Amino acid sequence: MIDQKLLEILACPACDERPPVRLKEDRLVCSVCRRAYPIREGIPVMLVDEATIEPEEEAESGAASASAPRDGKAA
Amino acid sequence: MSEERPVVDEKGSACRESGASCCGTAAGAAPADVKALVREAYGRIGAGERQGCGCGCGSAARVSAHLGYGTADLSAVPDGANLGLGCGNPTALASLQPGETVLDLGSGGGLDCFLAAKRVGLAGKVIGVDMTPEMIERARDNAQRGGYINVEFRQGDIEALPVAGASVDVVISNCVLNLVPDKARAFGEISRVLKPGGRMMVSDMVLSRPLPAWVKELGSAYTACVAGAALRDDYLRLIREAGLGDVDVLDERDAAAMFVNANDPLVSRLLGGNALEDLRGAVLSISVRAVKG
Repeated sequence: MIDQKLLEILACPACDERPPVRLKEDRLVCSVCRRAYPIREGIPVMLVDEATIEPEEEAESGAASASAPRDGKAA
Repeated sequence: MSEERPVVDEKGSACRESGASCCGTAAGAAPADVKALVREAYGRIGAGERQGCGCGCGSAARVSAHLGYGTADLSAVPDGANLGLGCGNPTALASLQPGETVLDLGSGGGLDCFLAAKRVGLAGKVIGVDMTPEMIERARDNAQRGGYINVEFRQGDIEALPVAGASVDVVISNCVLNLVPDKARAFGEISRVLKPGGRMMVSDMVLSRPLPAWVKELGSAYTACVAGAALRDDYLRLIREAGLGDVDVLDERDAAAMFVNANDPLVSRLLGGNALEDLRGAVLSISVRAVKG
C-alpha cells in the first residue's frame, strides 16, 4: 500500500534525529523510541499522541544487543 | 454536494451553533488550543459540513479562479478535491520537474497534491501531510477516484514532520502556515526535509501591520487565518533564519480584496460599515519561494 520509496523517507516525528520507521504488520515502528504509529485505511497516522509504545522485545528483535548491556551491567 | 453553492449561510449558522469552538479566538489561545481549533474547523470542511471559509470565502470554484488556478487545472482533479481554501497557486509557481519528490504541507482535500502529481509524473512522488483526519480521508478518497498512484497522504503535524531529513525536492504549502502556531519551527522543518538545492514554494496570509484588537476578537473562523498570520517582515525573516536562502516574494496582493467581499452579507454583518476600510491593505496574500543552500 505504502510506496517503498516513500516508506524509506517516512520518519518518527517524536525523535529529534527523525529516524526511519519500519513497517511491522499494521503499524510503523520507530527503532529508537519504539513508538508504533497506526496505519488507518492505508494512511500512516504519524502523530505522537496517537502512537503506542511497542513492547521492547518486539521492537528490538533485530537489535537486541543494543540495550542488553545496560540491564546486565551489575553482573 | 454542489461546489457552486454559496457558503455564507451555512458557515454563519455553523459558527453560531458551535460558538467559540469553531471560531477565531486563535490569537489569544495557547498553541495546543489553536491546533485543536484548526483541526475542528477544518475537520468540518473536510467532512463536507462547510466549505471554503478558511482563508478564502465563497464557492470553491470562485475562490480558486481568483487565486490563479486555470480552468484546465480545476477540471483535471476529482470533484471535491478543491475546497476553496487556498490563497495562491504554489504548484504552478514551483516549476516542478518530472521525477521530483514533492511534500505538500496542509494538503486538505488534495487539490495541490493532484496538480503536483501531474507535473512530476509517474517517476515523481507527492506526499500530502495534514493533521485533520477528515481532510486526510477526503484526500485519500479523491486520490482513489482520480487514480493518482504517485500521491500518498500522512496524518501529521507540520511542527514535527514525519519525514526524513534532506529527502524531498520541493515543499509546497497553500494558506496553511498562517494557522501553525510556531512558524519558526515549521520553517525549520521545511529546511530540514529539503535536499540541498531543494526549494520551498508557499502561498500564505501575512500582515502588513498589526491587526486591530477587534478583528482578533471577532467570533468567526473567517478570521482564524488572519489572527494567526505573522507580520510580513517577520515571516520572511523566519524563513531566512531557518536556513533557506534566495527568498523571493513572487506574488503579493491585498487579501482583503480577495477574501473580504463587500457584497457578502456575512461580512457586512460581522464587520459593519467602515470596518472593512480598517482592514484594507493589512492582510496580504503572498507567494514566497526560497531555496535550501
